[in-house]
Amino acid sequence: MLRLKLVFALSLLAAPALAAPLNIATDATFPPFESIDANGKLVGYDIELMEAVCKAAELECNIANAAWDGMIPGLIDGKYDALISQLTVTDKRRRVIAFSDIYSHPTFRFVAKKDAALHISPEGLAGKTIAVQTGTPMDAYVTAHYKQSTIKRYDTGSAPYLELTGGRADVHISYQAQIVHSFLKSESGKDYELVGPELTGKDAPEFGEGVAIAIGKRNTELVEKVNAGLAKIREDGTLDALNQQYFGQ
Amino acid sequence: MNWDVVVENLRLYAQGAGLTIWLTLLSLSAAFLLALPLAFLRNSRSRFLRRSVIAYTTVFRGTPLLVQLFLVYFGLAQFELLRGSFLWPWLSSPLVCALLVFVLNSGAYTTEIFAGGLRTIPKGEIEAAQAYGFTPLRAALRIFIPGMLSRSLPLYGNEMIMLMHATSLASTVTLMEITGVARNITLNYYIQLEPYVAAALIYLALTAILVAAVQLAERRFANFLRLDH
Repeated sequence: MLRLKLVFALSLLAAPALAAPLNIATDATFPPFESIDANGKLVGYDIELMEAVCKAAELECNIANAAWDGMIPGLIDGKYDALISQLTVTDKRRRVIAFSDIYSHPTFRFVAKKDAALHISPEGLAGKTIAVQTGTPMDAYVTAHYKQSTIKRYDTGSAPYLELTGGRADVHISYQAQIVHSFLKSESGKDYELVGPELTGKDAPEFGEGVAIAIGKRNTELVEKVNAGLAKIREDGTLDALNQQYFGQ
Repeated sequence: MNWDVVVENLRLYAQGAGLTIWLTLLSLSAAFLLALPLAFLRNSRSRFLRRSVIAYTTVFRGTPLLVQLFLVYFGLAQFELLRGSFLWPWLSSPLVCALLVFVLNSGAYTTEIFAGGLRTIPKGEIEAAQAYGFTPLRAALRIFIPGMLSRSLPLYGNEMIMLMHATSLASTVTLMEITGVARNITLNYYIQLEPYVAAALIYLALTAILVAAVQLAERRFANFLRLDH
């Protein structure tokens, strides 16, 4: 009788662990991809995409906001099951985490004040201050190629814009869509514009191969499931609809 | 374990420790000089002076240091007027903003600590100074300030340690002190334990030095206050 009770108690303990939804982290400082709306709800392209993938793959997912600096270490330590945060696939990251299939190919751009007349090149930006989010492909790119510039690094995707409007930084580099949606379309960004060439993974290896969902290195089962979900939403037009809705392409 | 990453970046840690020490010493000295007169004003007979100092210490002790830092660094930058002013070359520097906030914040705590020390000076010492016909300046230099500092030392020692640890917030405004270095390594190597353990060990070593210095000062200047001899 006691044993039976014990088994019952143990099964109670084990049950939530089995049914627990996947913990998925995102850094919600990066509209239109991931941000928090006025009601405190996570919104954005990545969020909708992840929800669609989970639904297609019949996974129960719990997407939560997390600090950028703890995301990849958290995934490695098993605190999170997956990350969706416009993470670009790079060789350096592949060494420590696994990725799903690539779901988009972002364009990177510089942004500066309209009358700044900056020439975007390592020489043109010599002595200028570049603001960038730490540990991103943009950070790796300017660190490698813009050695004559001062590079200021921030923990969030939104702080560089404060520095730009505050006059502490001359130029910022980020995802073009993020610059347009979160800054240029806003009141504070009206005097600013995209400058320099459109950059992609073809221009510099630091920009990576494309954007994918990050998954724990040993969790090949989840990689397969997520890829199946991605394939499904690609086939049934959900991904196209999402691209159309957010980027009109 | 990835201790090799820490070893690879020892030079960065050394630079970070240098900045931490520099920030701490500079803030401490300026906060000390600020708190010294304010402690007297805090106990002034004039209600206006007393209340002004209380207002200052209440604001700076009543709000988190991080909030103060963000208000000064990001908040002030939003005013066009200020950006055009002669102050901007100074205020646009994260180092100046961090120092300003550390000094004002620590100055508020130190003022209250010193003012408390002043209030505990025995009446007899003050009366003795008056009986000897000390001028107010002489009384301040010989009686009030030494009495205040020696009685404040244990609390002030704590404040010094707290300030040194508070400089870790400077990393949030792009300054690469010890914590900033650890955070940067975390973001670029995707490990969290080792960089922060290394940072903690450096802080521990620096704190040990500071504690030893305070104890030395206590033995030298405040021995007469000890009960066990």
